[in-house]
Amino acid sequence: MANQDLLSDQGLRLDGRRAHELRRIRCKLGVFSQPDGSAYLEQGNTKVLAAVYGPHQAPGKKSNHSEVIVNCQYSMAVFSTGERKNRPRGDRKSQEMTIHLQQTLRAAIKTELYPRSQIDVFIEVLQADGGNYCASVNAATLALIDAGICLKEYVCACTASLANGNVPLMDVSHLEEVSGGATLSVASLPSSNKIAFMEMSQRFHLDHLPKVLDHALQGCQQIMSILDKAVREHLALVGSASDWGNIAK
Amino acid sequence: MLTERVFMRKTKRGNILKIVREHYLRDDIICGSAICKHCPVSMQNDDDIVLVANPSAESSLFKFPIYLVPDTNVILDQIDIFEEDAICNMIILSTVQEEVKHRSSAVYKKFRDIVGRSPRHCYVFVNEHHKDTYVERKPGETANDRNDRAIRTATKWYDEHLQQSQLNIPKAKRIRVVLLTNDAKNREIAQNEGILAISVDEYVKSLTEHPLLQDKLKHKTYEVESSKNALFPPHLSPAEIHEGIKSGALLQGSFMASRENYLEGSVNVEGIEKFVLIQGRESLNRAVDGDVVAIRLLPEDQWSAPSEIILQDEENDPGDVLEEETEILAVKAEVEKTPTGVIVGIIRRKWRQYCGILQINQVSGSTRHIFVPAERKIPKVRIETRQAEHLKMQRIVVAIDNWPRHSRYPNGHFVRALGPLGDKDTENEVLLLEHDVPHSKWSEEVLSCLPKLPWIITNEDYERRKDLRDIFICSVDPPGCTDIDDALHCRELPNGRLEVGVHIADVSHFIRPGTALDKEASLRATTVYLVDKRIDMVPELLSSNLCSLLGGVERFAFSCVWEMDHNANILETRYHKSVIKSKSAMTYEQAQLIIDDPTQNHEIAKSLRHLNRLAKILKKKRIENGALILASPEIRFQVDSETHDPIEVEAKKMRETNSMVEEFMLLANVSVAEHIEREFPECAMLRRHPNPPQTNFEPLIKAGENQGFEIKTDCGKNLALSLDAAIKEDNPYFNTMLRILATRCMMQAVYFISGTVQNEEYFHYGLAAPIYTHFTSPIRRYADIIVHRLLAASIGADSTYAELLDKHRNSELCNNLNYRNRMAQYAGRASVALNTHLFFRGKTQEEEGYVLFVRKNALQILVPKFGLEGTIYLNIPKDNSRHKPGAPVFVFNKDEHTQQCGNIIFHSFDPVVVRLSLDSTNVQREKLVFELVKPYIEGFSVEPMELSVDDNDDQKASDKVSESTPKRPIGNADENKPKKKKNKKTKK
Amino acid sequence: MANILLSDAEKTFILHGVEEDFRCDGRTRRDYRPMELETGIVSHASGSARLRLANTDILVGIKTEIDVPSPYNIDKGKIEFFIDCSANATPEFEGRGGEELAQEISDTLAKSYQSGQAFDLRKLCILPGQQCWKLYVDILILECGGNLFDAVSLAVKAALFNTKIPRVTAALMDGGNVDLSLSDDPYDCNRIEINQIPILVTVCKIGDSCVVDPSAEEEQCSAASVVVGVSQRDNKSFLTNIHMCGVGSFHQETLESSVELGLSAAEKLDEELLIALKLEEERFGKYGKKEIFGFLR
Repeated sequence: MANQDLLSDQGLRLDGRRAHELRRIRCKLGVFSQPDGSAYLEQGNTKVLAAVYGPHQAPGKKSNHSEVIVNCQYSMAVFSTGERKNRPRGDRKSQEMTIHLQQTLRAAIKTELYPRSQIDVFIEVLQADGGNYCASVNAATLALIDAGICLKEYVCACTASLANGNVPLMDVSHLEEVSGGATLSVASLPSSNKIAFMEMSQRFHLDHLPKVLDHALQGCQQIMSILDKAVREHLALVGSASDWGNIAK
Repeated sequence: MLTERVFMRKTKRGNILKIVREHYLRDDIICGSAICKHCPVSMQNDDDIVLVANPSAESSLFKFPIYLVPDTNVILDQIDIFEEDAICNMIILSTVQEEVKHRSSAVYKKFRDIVGRSPRHCYVFVNEHHKDTYVERKPGETANDRNDRAIRTATKWYDEHLQQSQLNIPKAKRIRVVLLTNDAKNREIAQNEGILAISVDEYVKSLTEHPLLQDKLKHKTYEVESSKNALFPPHLSPAEIHEGIKSGALLQGSFMASRENYLEGSVNVEGIEKFVLIQGRESLNRAVDGDVVAIRLLPEDQWSAPSEIILQDEENDPGDVLEEETEILAVKAEVEKTPTGVIVGIIRRKWRQYCGILQINQVSGSTRHIFVPAERKIPKVRIETRQAEHLKMQRIVVAIDNWPRHSRYPNGHFVRALGPLGDKDTENEVLLLEHDVPHSKWSEEVLSCLPKLPWIITNEDYERRKDLRDIFICSVDPPGCTDIDDALHCRELPNGRLEVGVHIADVSHFIRPGTALDKEASLRATTVYLVDKRIDMVPELLSSNLCSLLGGVERFAFSCVWEMDHNANILETRYHKSVIKSKSAMTYEQAQLIIDDPTQNHEIAKSLRHLNRLAKILKKKRIENGALILASPEIRFQVDSETHDPIEVEAKKMRETNSMVEEFMLLANVSVAEHIEREFPECAMLRRHPNPPQTNFEPLIKAGENQGFEIKTDCGKNLALSLDAAIKEDNPYFNTMLRILATRCMMQAVYFISGTVQNEEYFHYGLAAPIYTHFTSPIRRYADIIVHRLLAASIGADSTYAELLDKHRNSELCNNLNYRNRMAQYAGRASVALNTHLFFRGKTQEEEGYVLFVRKNALQILVPKFGLEGTIYLNIPKDNSRHKPGAPVFVFNKDEHTQQCGNIIFHSFDPVVVRLSLDSTNVQREKLVFELVKPYIEGFSVEPMELSVDDNDDQKASDKVSESTPKRPIGNADENKPKKKKNKKTKK
Repeated sequence: MANILLSDAEKTFILHGVEEDFRCDGRTRRDYRPMELETGIVSHASGSARLRLANTDILVGIKTEIDVPSPYNIDKGKIEFFIDCSANATPEFEGRGGEELAQEISDTLAKSYQSGQAFDLRKLCILPGQQCWKLYVDILILECGGNLFDAVSLAVKAALFNTKIPRVTAALMDGGNVDLSLSDDPYDCNRIEINQIPILVTVCKIGDSCVVDPSAEEEQCSAASVVVGVSQRDNKSFLTNIHMCGVGSFHQETLESSVELGLSAAEKLDEELLIALKLEEERFGKYGKKEIFGFLR
């Protein structure tokens, strides 16, 4: 497996991208009416729905008087993977992912603004094709914005890996994840250049870390501008009934 | 910039899955032509423009300059044509590249190499990801049709694209794009679509300036194979084979032709312990050594045994007939039979290019000739060439194209000539090619990795390394050795213990991971020693200078230092990088003299005596543990310093000092192995020598039994003991011969990565060591470099890097190392054989020899002096010259394995005297002839010569005799570096 | 089901509206809300569909697997329904919160598909007794706006219509092993005959009247409802099953008229669905590809 060439002599990856290119990202805010905020985001063939409920009153026992509780649930449709999953959530992987998401989002939400409250963020992965965590974070960011929750800034996530042992790849697909080496997932706050979360799938040699990390962060930066554009467009559209559309421009 | 297509693929993994992958189509892929004015400029990088603006118009078929677009089959079939520089300015479509890669990785590798050569002007165009050239598969279209369409689409696009940039050039002079395909139907469709298309044959023939290129065309026969005059039964179709293997009616395995009998071979089938025997031309059914074949087992009553006959295909193309084979097949019933089968189909051809010579067709003017490969396992090949006269005295390379049913020999085509026959360099080249030894010149890139001269040791270096310059360190090596990679010392410590140090050249200091030098060294894997030539693993500046631990100069070393008591028990082990200054670089002989000379009492002498004493203890311990002492005939040549022809041959002498150095190297290797395995349990590079299966020992046990000795093979220790006990007073060489036989029973020792094998399997059988590695010869073995890096990382002297700890990558590396080592070993042996031939040129010599095996029609003789093995044929009915009426008749006794003639009986291990001479009647193929001198058999043996060979004129030349340069000139590229270990772990 | 807090006054308003045959959103009792349907939106499932009925959002993905037929039905394939109530719909579904509801719907669905007349499992058999296809019909409820049964059954039918099963040929080898060979052509696949596939219609009793396609608010006002499974054959409607839910009870006549209402609604609904699917099929064109809107529209 590992010897498969992820990068051709012509510098193209298996799907035709170059090493530093993201997959196509398309997204939409406000796809549902019942949640307070919702978003749909696809990054290549990874497709994710995010819904945000809240802030609402936190149940008594969990309530925290100084900051908001961020409650997440990561769930995957059973048909989202190549081979059918047996259950959508509750397995180890999903639970781990839930915790990771929680960590990441708490770093971005201005938690001190909502004491004794709770924000629910529900992620539903419709199609999984690599970088599930990243797509989830990016979708959650949009849904939180749609719900009008105060964020410090956009929180974006991107993966990076190594091809042929030394060339960093940005935003790896599922195929590259399984046939390549370790994959690094990074969530960052791109404007202030902070790293909110980082995880790797396997052992990774320290020598490679800086350049791979650098690539992942660049990816986050690019994703942020895509998300920002989407938010602006959405606002212009929503606000066009009133006079916002012109203001936003 | 990106567009996207999703395409579906279903794969079968027990289940049928639908797989969806993204497929991005781009608009930034340029056409790579220098004339183009339309490709996105921002993307243009001068390196990417490889197609020249003025391609030559050499083809007589086109009056305008052209670029070629070859299709997949053209590349697969005619790869040899593409080796020629005359074929250039090609556009390689990614569709084609992928298909080639998929169909044949060997061709792909070659092709990729060709494409990479800059004077070829080959541009790889990624048509599959270009927005204008991507085509979607249509319903009902086969994958092949789709690819053909993709190729046509891309060709058309190119042609039109280039026209746009040439609007100001007259139409007749514009560059056009031509599709090169041998598929007539595809050509027709292409022409209808307005694409220029041509077949390879037409194109090559139209290159009037390169008429000889035609020789290299591979001939595809389209003749209908009529079964009327077919010599061979037809092969089953792939589907039938597939079906048969699935149902168990057929078996799959790799075919190995017999070296001794060209009408016999065996197939190694997984799941069957014994090799399946294949006998007779029809049963072999056109299989060539290495092919993966499908066989059908014969019913047990038709089973046979390997014939005891040695048979070579000596005929001069007798036409497409098969001679009588009854003789080979007639095997008497009482012999133990082995599973026998017939080959019914070929699953995968493993044809490669073969070195050999041309056997000219007697009919003058004919272009059809027979090619005789150097490798005896390979059948002769028919080729067509117009340059036979020129090639007949040359070594040439030929590739096999096909083997039709009606043809006795396969058809092939000429690839290239290597040089004149009998020329030393040509022969060496053949040897290196046949054994796949990389031996090209060092590339600029590799040389640029070398340190700049003058090389000085900086203060920083001194600080980082332990300074051992004051210690009395010396090295002991064979005479003439220039790549000294080890040095030793021993001194008494104030606390009464002994400090023993093994200092190994610090090659990993110079070869940094990931550099071009490192990659080249890891590819070469080992230094290859031929009799008169050394093919270095690292450039000479390192191997003979900066790394070599020469006497009197400061060098970097990696030291392994033990504190021992006087009984050679290790009390403490330390590893560190150091700077040493060897006090003296000695030969084994010099060292021995110092040890033996009681008047010498300087530091070095003391050190050597301590070492010698400890080594003896170590050796004793080792043998008690069950380490084997095996033997193989080892010889060295004395080579004329001017002509480089061998002048004299002598068997190697072993001195105490050889064994002394060997013991400490073993000890260092074991210590390091234990250390790195502890530090890197998942990714340490180790070496193991598997236990040979008991069946391997059968010939040895039989040979012992015939002589009245019981050889116990249940464990290494018993084997060693019973070998020690098998001594015959009247035949001092008997024991050595048994050990030679034992050596041939052994498995090959291999490198492996600790995480990939169970702990119990780390065992090294030959050395009786539970764990072993290679640490002591980094100048000539790449494995040692890896071990150095691991050790350095573990003691904090150097940093790790990702690949070093990558288990899978290293496993692949091990595969390469093992392969190269084996090949180096074979090449070494072949070189010895080659030089033996040279030595006997124009010479006849009588030598003592021993019968190694008794065969049904031959005796196999070993001549210890030359380490030579040869055959004396008995009862050869075909050879009329010798088969006179009344000639002696030999009777073969199957049970006792003896040949009897009159009252003379030949047993295995019997001493004989043979006459050796070189049969040069066939200039193209010299061979060494063995003739029996003693015991004398009327009408068979030759008369003893009057003159002794020693009076030969060559002796006069002895004053200019120089020792051959290589340190280890014989075929032992394995660790059995003679000075270090006698243990051969090689199975013949 | 998702709880929506309604005041008594609101409930009364809805109740009266239904009685007057003039519901809150202006529909009559027999009217459906507008629906949106798209098929093939989950590209790596064998078949998929998304149905949006007002606020109710259903995504169905169908995956195929090779399985061994059960010993009792050696010539039949298998079909399995699995419903997942996503927490996106309501926080109450978080964790295992939606399981009860999911179970109820999937049971009803499975029952209505049980009859060989409604769904022919024999078509899914590859080699009797040895190999068959198993269809996993996985339903994801993304938003609840009432009338889940109808929406789910329609989405499933659309997804089945969209399903392409690769064509395989099976041969029995020596030793009882089965060798499956897959067609090399990705376009070479089998479709599922959907004409007889049942749909579910919920008839909701509000006060004394019955309505179809209740909104979430209307469901709050209803004590009992009946779900009928209807399969079309030879231009006739057949009941495949009847399922009652809710805490209340029906009068015999009310039940009969409810079933009658359900049947007639189902006929109309089925007709419309087939028209929509035909339109959808045309969009796919020759190469079986089309632009997918999904959630981006």
